[in-house]
Amino acid sequence: MLDMSYEGKEFDSFTYEVERCKIKELCKAIGDNNPIFFDKEEAKKNGYNDIPAPLTFGTVMNFWGYPEIWDRMKEIGVNIQRLLHASEEYEYLKTIYPGDIITGKVMVEGMRSSSMMEVVTFRSTYTRKNETVLIARMKIVIMTGEQ
Amino acid sequence: MALPDYDSINEGYELPKFTKEAIPKVQLVKYAGASGDFNQIHTVEEYAKQAGLDGIIVHGMLVMGILGQMISTWAGIKNITKYSVNFKAITKPGDTLTAKGTVSRKYQDEKGKFADCKLQVEDQKGEVKVTGKCTVKFE
Repeated sequence: MLDMSYEGKEFDSFTYEVERCKIKELCKAIGDNNPIFFDKEEAKKNGYNDIPAPLTFGTVMNFWGYPEIWDRMKEIGVNIQRLLHASEEYEYLKTIYPGDIITGKVMVEGMRSSSMMEVVTFRSTYTRKNETVLIARMKIVIMTGEQ
Repeated sequence: MALPDYDSINEGYELPKFTKEAIPKVQLVKYAGASGDFNQIHTVEEYAKQAGLDGIIVHGMLVMGILGQMISTWAGIKNITKYSVNFKAITKPGDTLTAKGTVSRKYQDEKGKFADCKLQVEDQKGEVKVTGKCTVKFE
């Protein structure tokens, strides 16, 4: 059962240094062979300072930068085995590059509970030198009806 | 591939779609390591069955990544200002995914020229796995 008192709460901030190999590894795992993610010169030819982080890199910063998210979910009452990812939303403010030191902060933006399901929305804000570079929103659903 | 000229696209313009090869199980292992999402429903058959599934399922974020590949190949990372998806159905290893999209709206305001796109990923049977949206900024 969700502990609704967590609604609106922010968790501790964390720091993630963007590593070149994690960008390449994520693109490889997706099967995205665009050379701008692998070759700095190719990226520069296309108007980037270096190889850019791909669109879903926020997930890497979230799970590798803040693996405690699983414990936080348990703490607020999420049944991990019944968890479904309902939606994911990104707002890109600046391109993220290798070497960037990113500060992440996760907050519980919304919580809802009915007889059938529970819904939690997390909002993650990523900043670089006090400038917001990425905002991510993840909505998860926990089916509770048939238990 | 390069983003076409703002004036050359219209509402209904089709983004270059593509179909990936069938997803092998090992790709889920690679994706777990790359993303850091080690939820075992994606990699360990016994655990997935205990959770009430037929077997391991593909990370939703991998499907979002594949759709993201399609839009960033077309528009370029730096031109995409927003990207979101809703997960509609489970994707299993062996599924062959096709990512596609169309321009749903184009507009200009004080911040520049933009196109909103409607996106979708479907499998070999035409089942919709993900619907999504993105906003592209033109220079």
